[in-house]
Amino acid sequence: MKKNYALLFFQTIALFTLSNVAAQTPTDALMMDKGQICFAATYTHDTWDHYWEGTLKRVNGNIGTLTRQTVMPMFALGIVNRVNVLVALPWVKTEASGGQVRGASGLQDWGLWVKAKALDFPAGPGNLSVHAVAGVTGPASNYLPDFMPFSLGLGCIDGSLRGILQYKLDKGPYARVHAGYHLRGHCTIERDYYYTTHGVYTNKVDMPNAVTYEAVLGTWLFKDKFKIEAFYNAMNSLGGYDIRRQDAGFPSNEMDMTRVGGGIQYYFPFVKGLGVLATGSYVLTGRNVGQSTAITGGITYQFGIWK
Amino acid sequence: MKNTTRLSISVLALCWLAFFSACEKDFPVEANIEPYEFVSLDATGGAWKPVLLSSAGQIAIPDAADVSSAAYQAELADLKTTSAQLTAEQQAAVRYWGSNPIVRWNEIARELTAKYNLTPAPNADGTYPAPNANDPGTYPKFPFAHPPYACRALAYWGAAQYDALIATWHYKYQYNRPAPYTTDASIQTHLPKNALPSYPSDGAVVAAVSKTVLSALFPLEKDFLAAKAAECQNAQRWAGLNVASDISAGDSLGRAVAAVFLARAGSDGMKSAQTPKPVSDSIRAAAEARWGWHWENLESPQRPVGITPFFGRVKPWCIPNVEAVRPGPPPAPGSAEFQTAAAELQRIADNLTTKQRAIANFWADGLGTYTPPGHWNRFASDLIVQYRLNPLRSARTLAYLNMAIMDAGISCWDAKYYYHYPRPSQAIPGFKTILGIPNFPSYTSGHSTFSAAAATVLGHIFPAEKAQCDAWAEEAAESRIYAGIHYRFDAAVGITQGKAVGQYALERAAADGGE
Repeated sequence: MKKNYALLFFQTIALFTLSNVAAQTPTDALMMDKGQICFAATYTHDTWDHYWEGTLKRVNGNIGTLTRQTVMPMFALGIVNRVNVLVALPWVKTEASGGQVRGASGLQDWGLWVKAKALDFPAGPGNLSVHAVAGVTGPASNYLPDFMPFSLGLGCIDGSLRGILQYKLDKGPYARVHAGYHLRGHCTIERDYYYTTHGVYTNKVDMPNAVTYEAVLGTWLFKDKFKIEAFYNAMNSLGGYDIRRQDAGFPSNEMDMTRVGGGIQYYFPFVKGLGVLATGSYVLTGRNVGQSTAITGGITYQFGIWK
Repeated sequence: MKNTTRLSISVLALCWLAFFSACEKDFPVEANIEPYEFVSLDATGGAWKPVLLSSAGQIAIPDAADVSSAAYQAELADLKTTSAQLTAEQQAAVRYWGSNPIVRWNEIARELTAKYNLTPAPNADGTYPAPNANDPGTYPKFPFAHPPYACRALAYWGAAQYDALIATWHYKYQYNRPAPYTTDASIQTHLPKNALPSYPSDGAVVAAVSKTVLSALFPLEKDFLAAKAAECQNAQRWAGLNVASDISAGDSLGRAVAAVFLARAGSDGMKSAQTPKPVSDSIRAAAEARWGWHWENLESPQRPVGITPFFGRVKPWCIPNVEAVRPGPPPAPGSAEFQTAAAELQRIADNLTTKQRAIANFWADGLGTYTPPGHWNRFASDLIVQYRLNPLRSARTLAYLNMAIMDAGISCWDAKYYYHYPRPSQAIPGFKTILGIPNFPSYTSGHSTFSAAAATVLGHIFPAEKAQCDAWAEEAAESRIYAGIHYRFDAAVGITQGKAVGQYALERAAADGGE
């Protein structure tokens, strides 16, 4: 007889957070040149003690503070100058400060993206570029998505398409917007009946699709060795259900949020290709998600493997 | 854009669309039940012994008009027209309700349980509100359909169906009014025909009993249930099975029998099962004095009273009293036997396999679900369909199953609050579970007791399924150990207790004439 554990985040959060640092991610406008590879390793510490049960913001003594830690290695490879392939494999650990329920840990979702620079041309004092990204993520272990708020991820295949538009001044400042659409399959749970607003007789849960948006303002400084940026982003589930009063969360909840944050990145002048990054973010509004505060730190290393 | 770029984007987009169009599908929101022909009719079922009715004829119904009468001929003509021109919606309703609507009503009862099985949220000041039967619509809505509430709801529903259908069979064979399609072969039917006399309509009885009993237990669903019952009764006509007077006689008979059961429910002790805090505190103090231990709710904020401390005092169906099936005391916390059980739990928790996790979740049946009693009703409904039982035989199965399950709940709750035994998470420092911890004491395991009682009854009624039913019960019991909710002795003693309770139900069944 399950107690009242509410819901937390979904797996894309880790990637989403990373999107705001310059390590070359599915949501930025950076590209590796042909034969160049960028390796990034990040650690994210994400906590919340308030969450939205539907639209009701609340605390839950049986959760207390939920902490989610993510370690994520990621590679970006320049296949040709205009086409990059990215892969990532996060490992996640969740635990609550309250209640008696054990958290979870393990590999979350593998991710594979192909990013293409569609347009890039001089415009006024800078450059305008358009990128398109197609990606797929899916469970990399048998973690249980029906274990909110401890679930490592949503447990489904998620295929996404993104468009990224950036205008960058030659002097360093840039503005970027992106919009993404996520088509999701179903996840598999370990019971063959569940109730949302009605009963469903299967162990499969149809996952709502989602859209993401983001606006970023930033600038490169010190001869392109240092970058600082601020972002605002949003995610909206297209469908799904609210957590009922005092019920546990469920994978097919309608998860919405808006969030702000900022990040910096620095390339060491004396070690070619080595950089560090840090980012922080805070959820402003939400629905069926936790009000996360997340910080990320990481290193990036870029090197050539062929010409 | 270079060709390689264009090519990779198109290929990816295509794969992506192909993948998702392939896996988009609608998942079933109800059991898939094919209408079926009954394996037998139980023509002497009208002579079986009812649960509460003094006799099958206790509740009178109007005499059946002769098939040659003008009144009946008019009904027949009306039926002929109706069943010959069904809308798509009417056809869907006929198919949905099928030849044995009792399994659909069981599904509805389970669904309402899942819908209402939510525990009250705390107030801002750390206190908890409680559902109020006299004001069901105000949060927290009434009822909170926890396992004791659920098992009782299903028991009244199932037992009332049984008595109502014994009475129905009694009148069917007393009046012997042939089915409309027997009298007039040109009447179009949309469900399998059978040789049951048609007055009163068994489908109408089942709908009336379900509507009446479930409306009392889930008062906010009154309109929903009335609409369902109307559709179910209409479907008997749309299908060409019953004329209007078959249905009206069935409806009034069903409602009258339901009223007899609701009268018992009104005075069975459930009203005082959810005790106020001072009573709950005194129960705990008595346990502490007697045993030297007590259970505590560990939620934050702490819930002041566990779920239904006096459910053990609710009037049972088949057991003579709770003492007759009360198990001996559990090992004292700290004793060698306790330490062995605690060490096993820790070992399992530290090495939980994928299969163990799946078993724990499959049987979790916690908040927001149809509870363990609902889970067993689902099995029973599936078996009823698989074995093509007629409505009376189905009702008998669900009556004994659910009376046994409710008695198991009563017996288990008696032990829970008599022994007031701490949960593993309370007694083992630092111990954590993979499921939420229920708000009542540990010993004995509700899942185990409910399941063993249920398996005993189902295994008797479906002998070929006995091994499977027993295996399910064992797995349900074991699941709580995997989840960290129960010690092995909670589960093992619960199984023994449930079997003993189930035997009392079988003894009663053996004497009702329906074996």
